[in-house]
Amino acid sequence: MSSWLDYTINGLIVGNVYALVAVGLALIFGVSRLINFAQGSIYLVGAYIGWVAVVQLHTPLPLTIIFVAAVAALVGLIIERFGLRPLQNSVRIAPLLATIGISFVLDQLVMLTFSPNPRALPSQLPDVRFQVGGGTIGPLDLLIAGVGISSALLLFVFLRYTKLGWAVRAASQDRDAAMQMGVDVNRVNQTVFGIAAALGGVSGLLVGMYYNQIDTAMSLQATLKGVVAEVVGGAGNVPGAVVGSLLLGLVESYGVAVFGTSYRNLFAFLLLVVVLVLRPNGLFASARQAPPEPLTGTFIAPSRPVRIPRWGLAVAVALFGILPLLPVSFYVLQTLINAWLLGMLALSLTLVAGTIGQVSLGHAALLAIGAYTSALLSLTLSVPVGLAIIAGGLMSAALGTLLISPSFRLRGHYVSIATLAIGEIVSLVILNWESVTRGPIGISGIPPLSLFGYDLISPASVYWFAFAVMVVLALLQARLLGSHLGRSFRAIRDDDIAARAYGISLNRYKSLAFIFGGFAAGVSGGIAAHLYSYINHETFNTQQSILALTVVILGGLGNVVGAIVGAVALVGLPEIFRIAAEYRILIYGIVLLLLVRFRPQGLLGTI
Amino acid sequence: MTTSAPEPLLALSDVNTFYGQAQVHFDLSITVGRGHIVCLLGGNASGKSTTMKIILGLVKPRSGEVTFDGASLIGLTTPQIVRRGIASVPEARRLFADMSVRENILMGAFVRNDRDAVAQDLDRMLTLFPKLGQRLSQRAGSLSGGEQQMVAMARALMSRPSLIVMDEPTMGLSPLYVDRVLELIRTINQEGVSVFMVEQNASLALEIAHEAYVLQTGKIVLSGPARALKDDPRVRDAYLGGAEAA
Ligand SMILES: Nc1ncnc2c1ncn2[C@@H]1O[C@H](COP(=O)(O)OP(=O)(O)OP(=O)(O)O)[C@@H](O)[C@H]1O
Ligand SMILES: [Mg+2]
Repeated sequence: MSSWLDYTINGLIVGNVYALVAVGLALIFGVSRLINFAQGSIYLVGAYIGWVAVVQLHTPLPLTIIFVAAVAALVGLIIERFGLRPLQNSVRIAPLLATIGISFVLDQLVMLTFSPNPRALPSQLPDVRFQVGGGTIGPLDLLIAGVGISSALLLFVFLRYTKLGWAVRAASQDRDAAMQMGVDVNRVNQTVFGIAAALGGVSGLLVGMYYNQIDTAMSLQATLKGVVAEVVGGAGNVPGAVVGSLLLGLVESYGVAVFGTSYRNLFAFLLLVVVLVLRPNGLFASARQAPPEPLTGTFIAPSRPVRIPRWGLAVAVALFGILPLLPVSFYVLQTLINAWLLGMLALSLTLVAGTIGQVSLGHAALLAIGAYTSALLSLTLSVPVGLAIIAGGLMSAALGTLLISPSFRLRGHYVSIATLAIGEIVSLVILNWESVTRGPIGISGIPPLSLFGYDLISPASVYWFAFAVMVVLALLQARLLGSHLGRSFRAIRDDDIAARAYGISLNRYKSLAFIFGGFAAGVSGGIAAHLYSYINHETFNTQQSILALTVVILGGLGNVVGAIVGAVALVGLPEIFRIAAEYRILIYGIVLLLLVRFRPQGLLGTI
Repeated sequence: MTTSAPEPLLALSDVNTFYGQAQVHFDLSITVGRGHIVCLLGGNASGKSTTMKIILGLVKPRSGEVTFDGASLIGLTTPQIVRRGIASVPEARRLFADMSVRENILMGAFVRNDRDAVAQDLDRMLTLFPKLGQRLSQRAGSLSGGEQQMVAMARALMSRPSLIVMDEPTMGLSPLYVDRVLELIRTINQEGVSVFMVEQNASLALEIAHEAYVLQTGKIVLSGPARALKDDPRVRDAYLGGAEAA
């Protein structure tokens, strides 16, 4: 049984580690108004470079740290130069999406190089612990504290007393004005990316040593924790990021002390959502409002959408409708069923992210809510599967909208962070609410799809069912977009301030969009649950949220037909080319990057 | 005021500027003679600030030429243009709000590497703007509008520019400060710095300017020696016309 002092020490040490990530995020946000979702990947790279150094090269500790910092900084510079600088004049959300794509690529490269299995990362320090008051402290704790404090000091000196440091501060306060003083903003960007990456990489190394284990799942966790700490401290506020990190470390550590380990992340994300809703500028900002203009604007690139004639669509639907009657393999049907399920999710996301401009990064949570609702209703209350799926859709619509509604006043990147956090919260609640969701064991033995008492067992019947549901949802959505409501949605997306000035109630319209979108996603999740017959808290994860986002960008944001074309393309092409599963995420990341860079309006164009 | 035409320091010729589809400048041509104060007058949305941005390289013209000291500025980045000797006092001042007054002023010398001379110039600024002396360690964002204008001007002078471009330096200031700012602009000019300023306040600006241009929805409709324009009824008309169009 550990003492409170132990929990405090642990919280501060972990907080120090978070601070190394969060400070980098804050520096980058300050200069480019960008939340760098690739920060966790650099942390991951740092951990694995550290492993190579320690285990294979047997470098002494100081050299290991320097080596990791240098390689990570190099990765950061490459990301800035080739991933982000070309996007300087794009819409605001483009660099954010690019960092997501970069993080997928980096994570997958690490996974392919080192395999996804966890590895031990020895700390190279003696394993002794000193008694301090009622707790204990070890050399590694001291090392982490030392690295944290000295990095903070170095950064302070750099920002306060060097010319480049002044340029960084000036650029983060007023980029244009800084340029007018002769500051080369590209150089400033490079500097902050280099520093942020070096700190992030070292952080990954230290964490690996602290837990004596590294694995590829670290990446997303680190990004999320860093973002939480940064937003709590006030986006772009470097000292705030340090305080936010320590606070987060303590909150988590005490939370674990009281409730147990599986609650650790839940506290982190609840803290984030509370701060976002109550004080979007962070705990230390004076003004109670989100940073203005630069964060607004969505990814809608102006374009002339490709008009597909009605008869063309009808022919396509008919062709796909009779497909099971043709001699096609089970494998093809299976693939297309997945495409239809993803298509429903994409319909939902293209409405929310495209039509009304709320770029959601937590859409998989809607799948999960629909899936669990439908599975539990049919399993425990013997509700007919068809009804259960509809109930799942309704539950997703209601619960999803309710959960997101406190964040309706957020804009731009903040919407993305909030939805990401809400997605994580849903998955953590599923994990921890064992009495209902059966926790980590998951739900097995979910009854198969059935309609009016007939089980849909054959692939053809499942195919028809999924396809029909998707087509109906698509038709409904197309109707919706052509109506007055659809125009109001787009007005909100294009200029929420003006829309409000015209008397459009943002909350009502955002709710309507999430209700409709939640239903479509919930139905997709419900069908999936009965199809898979087993689900757990990880079945619907952030990767799927990002995949869905890639699909809708590929199709053209807001474009109904595009969402479905995108789903078929992203599910189908890897199958056609027989790309091994472990390369797929890599490909999705690359597709996302290429789209953002070269064809932001997608295949069929944004609407 | 001199009437002989000095050699041109800055020249815009036949500049056409667009924001997306919308054209902001139509064959804009403006010349700033070395040692002169040149004023660009115009109503709201006539394209004055965009002219500043063209000079500073913050916005690229679709066609036309911008030359400074005999060399083209087209294709140069803003920092490169600043290093050529153009300093700016942007619209609404744009100080670095969370940096101290001292740091703001020194940021103006960012392109310089002669530390000792920079320190001397800082002292010189404090004689030119005595009020700033007591405010050096204060956050720039906490200053009054007039004080911020002083900091912005001091900051611009710190790079030892040969040309300062100013966007509405008297905007939002009390009459007392307006006089002071205009007086300072004249002082700066007498020390050899050319000035290109954008103003809405025509009568005051024409008091200190050598030459003036009147911009109306992106076209120069009048230009000439300030003294001649001061009494020209068309200045007022063009002016009101511009304001109406906005
Ligand atoms: N970044 C931009 N994107 C699109 N249009 C712009 C942009 N900046 C300015 N404009 C438009 O260009 C026109 C000229 O703007 P500009 O700022 O140059 O006017 P101005 O004469 O300085 O006006 P004011 O007196 O209000 O400062 C205006 O119609 C404005 O709306
Ligand atoms: Mg202006």
